[in-house]
Amino acid sequence: MDAIESLIPEDSGSTPALEPLAMVALDAGRLLMEAGASANSIDEIVAKVARGLGADRVDLRIGYASLAVTIGIGHSGITRMREVGHLGVNQRLDQELWHLADKVARGELTTAQTRAELTRLATKTPRHSAWVMAVAVGLACAAFGRLLGADWSSTGPVFLAAGIGQLVRRELLTRHVNVFICASIVSFLSSLLGGLGANWAGSTTITTAMIASILLLVPGVPSVNAQNDILEGHPTLGSARAVTVAVILIFAAAGLWLGQVLLANWH
Amino acid sequence: MNPYFLLHQTLCGAIAAAGFGVLFNIGFRSLPWCAASGAVALAVRTYCLGLGWNLEAASFAAALTVGAAVQVLRARTDISQNALDVVGCIPMVPGSFAAKAILGMFALTSASTMDASETLITAVQYALRVTFTIGAIGTGLAIPTLLLRVRVNR
Repeated sequence: MDAIESLIPEDSGSTPALEPLAMVALDAGRLLMEAGASANSIDEIVAKVARGLGADRVDLRIGYASLAVTIGIGHSGITRMREVGHLGVNQRLDQELWHLADKVARGELTTAQTRAELTRLATKTPRHSAWVMAVAVGLACAAFGRLLGADWSSTGPVFLAAGIGQLVRRELLTRHVNVFICASIVSFLSSLLGGLGANWAGSTTITTAMIASILLLVPGVPSVNAQNDILEGHPTLGSARAVTVAVILIFAAAGLWLGQVLLANWH
Repeated sequence: MNPYFLLHQTLCGAIAAAGFGVLFNIGFRSLPWCAASGAVALAVRTYCLGLGWNLEAASFAAALTVGAAVQVLRARTDISQNALDVVGCIPMVPGSFAAKAILGMFALTSASTMDASETLITAVQYALRVTFTIGAIGTGLAIPTLLLRVRVNR
């Protein structure tokens, strides 16, 4: 008989520890997914946390917007689901979650302690300041511009346009503006500023400068994750990520197009 | 190949990767690894393009090199392998081609399009190059991961 079919639902009162264990394991997976991890990593951390807390069997289903897990201990079992929020990228949170999972796997933490640690990580993990991010993104886009063939006189405007775009994007996301709308607004603003600045600086590669100014919007991590997920046996999640990447690109291109039209009319 | 051009591309790859490392909230101490990852990716891609390879093949070779290097070095860095190799390959993601492909599609609907078939072919060419290049990068990164993956403490 299949192992899962033989499980007795926890509602029978046989194993009271299953519910918190399942939710803590799901929260670890949810936070990792929101930090930009691929499906295999999420699978791995949920199994690691659940087994570290005493689970015998762990089966996880990973969707784009939710996680569901079945946990088994002995003949008792439970299935629980958890909603997943906005999928961003947060490497330091990713790192801290793995350190926590290692501790749990070594048996150093109880379920309650793990839950407290997860709450602490979700709220206290430091992020770079908005200005540091803006400068870094500006430099990255200026370097992108050079890689694409933009001339030296356009690198300054691209740096400023992308940096301002990053500040605006962060502000919009903080205000929970839809990510696709946000991509269009930032793309329009950055491309227009980049184009105007490059024109003012006497650049001969204005179009390239406008494109370079919006490359902060390229969803690199989701696009690579999409492929990894498909290659590693999660085609549903991979396809959902790929569609999201495509829609973000379309919205970003729409903003760029509007910026180009306005700049052309300006002239 | 012009060594100054190779150096220029390598440096730009390093700066772009480090910049995206900050965006991905990687700590300052780990940023040199990101820069190194981007530098290796762009150096390999530029060298292969100099040999006459097409963009897709050169991007595949670069991603394969970065993926393998990250697998070998992962124990020395405290960054997850996924983040380090993605950050290194970000400068190779053909975002400008994607933008040009979509803008070309937009142009097709414009009433003033002079040569619709040429616009369509150019847009499709850009779209295919984006698809194949992203496919090449993803496959290049996935192969070392799938072949060399060892479950170690992360």
